[in-house]
Amino acid sequence: MANELTLTVNGAKQVVSAAPETPLIFVLRNELKLSGPRLGCGMAQCGSCSVLLDGEEVRTCITPVSYAVGKKVTTIEGLPAVWAAQKSLSAADAAKTLHPVQQAWIDEQVPQCGYCQSGMMIAAVELLAKNPNPTVAQIKDAFTNKPPSPHLCRCGTYAAIIDAVQRAAKAMKA
Amino acid sequence: MTLKTETSSDSPITPFSTTLTRRGFVKMGGALFVSFALPAGFRAQTVEGHASLQANQLDPTLLASWLEIRSDNTILMRTGRTETGTGMSGYYTQAIAEELSVRPETISLIMGDTDKTPDGGYSAGFLYGMNNVRKVAAYTYQALLKLAAAQLDVPVGDLTVVDGVVSGGGKSIRYGQLVEGQHLDLKIPVSGEASRVDPSSPNGNGMAGLDGFTVTGDPPMKAVKEFKVLGTSFPAGHIPGKVTGKTQWSCDLTLPGMLHARMVRPATVGSTLVSAGTIDKTKFPTAEVIQKGNLLAVVSPNEWEAVQAAVSVASTTKWTEWAGLPGSENVTKAIREYKWSAPGESKGNAADVTAALASASKRIFATYELPYVRHAPIGPFLAVADVRADGSVTVWTHSAQSRGLRAQIANTLSIPVEKVVVRWLEHSAQYGRTTFGGDGAEGDAVILSQFTGKPVRVQWTLQEDLAWSSVSPAYVLDIKAGCDANGRLIAFHSASYTPHQSDARLLGALLAGMPCSMPKPGSWIATEWPYDKIQNRLEEAYGMPSIGAQSVTGGLRGNIMRTPGQRQQNFALEGLINEAAAAVGADPVQFRLDHTTDQRLIDLLKATAKAAGWEPRRSPQAKARKTGTAAVTGRGVCIMQRANAYWVGIAEISVVPATGVVKASKFTIGAEPGKIINPRQLDRCMKSGVVMGLSEALKEEVTFDKSKVTSTNWSRYKILTMEEMPEIKVVQISRDDKGFGGGSEAANAVVPPAVAAAFYDATGVQPGSIPLNPAYVKTLLKG
Repeated sequence: MANELTLTVNGAKQVVSAAPETPLIFVLRNELKLSGPRLGCGMAQCGSCSVLLDGEEVRTCITPVSYAVGKKVTTIEGLPAVWAAQKSLSAADAAKTLHPVQQAWIDEQVPQCGYCQSGMMIAAVELLAKNPNPTVAQIKDAFTNKPPSPHLCRCGTYAAIIDAVQRAAKAMKA
Repeated sequence: MTLKTETSSDSPITPFSTTLTRRGFVKMGGALFVSFALPAGFRAQTVEGHASLQANQLDPTLLASWLEIRSDNTILMRTGRTETGTGMSGYYTQAIAEELSVRPETISLIMGDTDKTPDGGYSAGFLYGMNNVRKVAAYTYQALLKLAAAQLDVPVGDLTVVDGVVSGGGKSIRYGQLVEGQHLDLKIPVSGEASRVDPSSPNGNGMAGLDGFTVTGDPPMKAVKEFKVLGTSFPAGHIPGKVTGKTQWSCDLTLPGMLHARMVRPATVGSTLVSAGTIDKTKFPTAEVIQKGNLLAVVSPNEWEAVQAAVSVASTTKWTEWAGLPGSENVTKAIREYKWSAPGESKGNAADVTAALASASKRIFATYELPYVRHAPIGPFLAVADVRADGSVTVWTHSAQSRGLRAQIANTLSIPVEKVVVRWLEHSAQYGRTTFGGDGAEGDAVILSQFTGKPVRVQWTLQEDLAWSSVSPAYVLDIKAGCDANGRLIAFHSASYTPHQSDARLLGALLAGMPCSMPKPGSWIATEWPYDKIQNRLEEAYGMPSIGAQSVTGGLRGNIMRTPGQRQQNFALEGLINEAAAAVGADPVQFRLDHTTDQRLIDLLKATAKAAGWEPRRSPQAKARKTGTAAVTGRGVCIMQRANAYWVGIAEISVVPATGVVKASKFTIGAEPGKIINPRQLDRCMKSGVVMGLSEALKEEVTFDKSKVTSTNWSRYKILTMEEMPEIKVVQISRDDKGFGGGSEAANAVVPPAVAAAFYDATGVQPGSIPLNPAYVKTLLKG
């Protein structure tokens, strides 16, 4: 049965009505109208639905909404604010600044169809938080071997993703 | 760079956080445009000479249907083609900007909506689509010059245009001012016909008019040497929205009262429904079971409830048993056993080839087999349909063929085409499966919406998509070739055998027993022959019905996939060329150079070989081996000619014979597509094509038993991961004198033949098939 649950999503408190076992993706998409996490495999095999939960990447297709209560949920829509807070940007600067990972994804022209790219950017943000200067091998390892599954891109944009992660790494150190 | 290149003042798309109502968006526009705009309530009626053109779409002969220039100097262009992830919306923008002499940032596009765009047509054929918008822009440019000449009182010949400002005689005016209050009665010449389901169509997909309308005539266009925008790496307009979460994808659409649907598919490819499962209303109070024929679904206003209830209903639904498939391990045998008659297409001279083979000093016979593979996007099919009591039908889709889909839906519902509006939104790429306007969730969605009287959103699951979407069929190819005493190929005969690959039917319509387009077995020769020095040649392509075609679902519905036909035929052709080079002890690059006089191909092959550090020698290499626990390395080359473009792939791989593990260490890819429109997008498409091609070469195979597809998740239908991607080196040659060529599609197809050649070089065994997975490799090396 549906419960009232309080979530913190992209910095804002949200009260939603949902059965506690509802996968987080349906709450983020259908209740909170967020477009970033997108349904792919539905079984944690592809990464297109990823968000950050207290800074850790999770697959929202298998994460119950109740698990997110009391934790901070960040989707790509919330990445600019995360960066603005990290850099203590003024409100005016924050409004016109993307997260360096997003900017790198634009500068490197990463997306083709783009369906998987929200999850790819989430994985990149998590990686760069842990390893600010990853090598190509470390990037490949993070996007392939970190549980629960590789991040898959059917368009084949992996080379562009590596370029963008390295560009973002530079920008974040600047 | 604007963040909303694909939206516009009359876009149907609201911000993602807002609920869309069907009437709402009509009023949303900023109404900034002043001229060249569509009159209010405008609806095309007929096009001269094209009585079949239906209402509810724009008249392609009117400039206003294509283009608006607004008082703020922004420009809106409409095209029925769509962005499929290859960046072509950006190329369109570049072409329009070039011909109008404006900055590309000022241009926005409306794509794919059947009632808001004039032309229709394949999204796959971007060159034709670009040609349409480019010519419209060129016609408009001439009209603007005349207007400016009159307004500035300066002869046309004395005018110059830079960034949308016309100058002459010391005066200047912006396009926005120039068109203000003007009505330009400019006719755009077109040819073509409306898309329709046509049982008499000679096409294998049973459709006609899928090319849409083509802009004709020969307006003056910018010379290549004058290009300012074409040829630059202008950023693709669709990217910022996708990166920031602002793009509204088809999966984001919600309508008031909308139901979420999950489909309950048959137990096997040929099962029919015995009894539908029921819903425990105490657990799922809002869910309902919908059944029409063998179409079974669960709907609920709550998506999670629909998901759970569908699982519950599936567990208690009874289907008939069926076992009419040969099993994927027997697919070659099944194709061989088909009673073949005449080829679907034949090119060449049989008598000459027979005589030349008889005179050859060395003859080579080879057989190649390719497995079933599939498009397998990350995002499964999805559609939203709103079928109203008043007979109107609106469908929101990510199909690559909006007009074709519109015709399919009208045919399925037995209603006139003008009752159907198809709106296009971004989603996961299709790689060819919706090119004929079929496949997808749209059939399910319209049937369920008609049944419930409510808007319905149908989301397929990955398992469903990997089991039930159309599929790129297996191929069997037999080749005979002969060399003369000088080691030159003098005769070549290929015959390819394949199940049907242009089935455009919608699964929902098939299951519900409603009207569908009629696929007709056949096949075609996709090879564009690169070896003009091989003088005696016969190519034959044989087609049979889809495997399991007699079943209610149409069996394994065959469909085209990226670089269709040529991907498979080129695997055999280039495999044979390698085997022939080996037979005469020639270097594989030099052997190819020796069999062509085409300078474009020669230049690209030499440049790519040089970039790869290719040292001439015979292949297989002297130290090739097929046993041992240590890795042995090899390299291989292949070429391809397609759509006024040339391609070269050079693979470097390692093989561990004892384990059968093949790894790609480096891939060099070269392309010469005439004038390169956008070097960076081409670079991206080439690299990503290599990833897709390696995936096919090393991993991909659709497996099925006698009843159903079994490769239904990512651990069973394996695709390449980032770690498996090798170093990729790109070679581009741009030519100013050869027009534009296809620059996105073919990159995947040069990979499997090059990898197979590298495997041959490493082990001395030419693979007759792919994927080169450990099980197959161990079998190959034992043999």
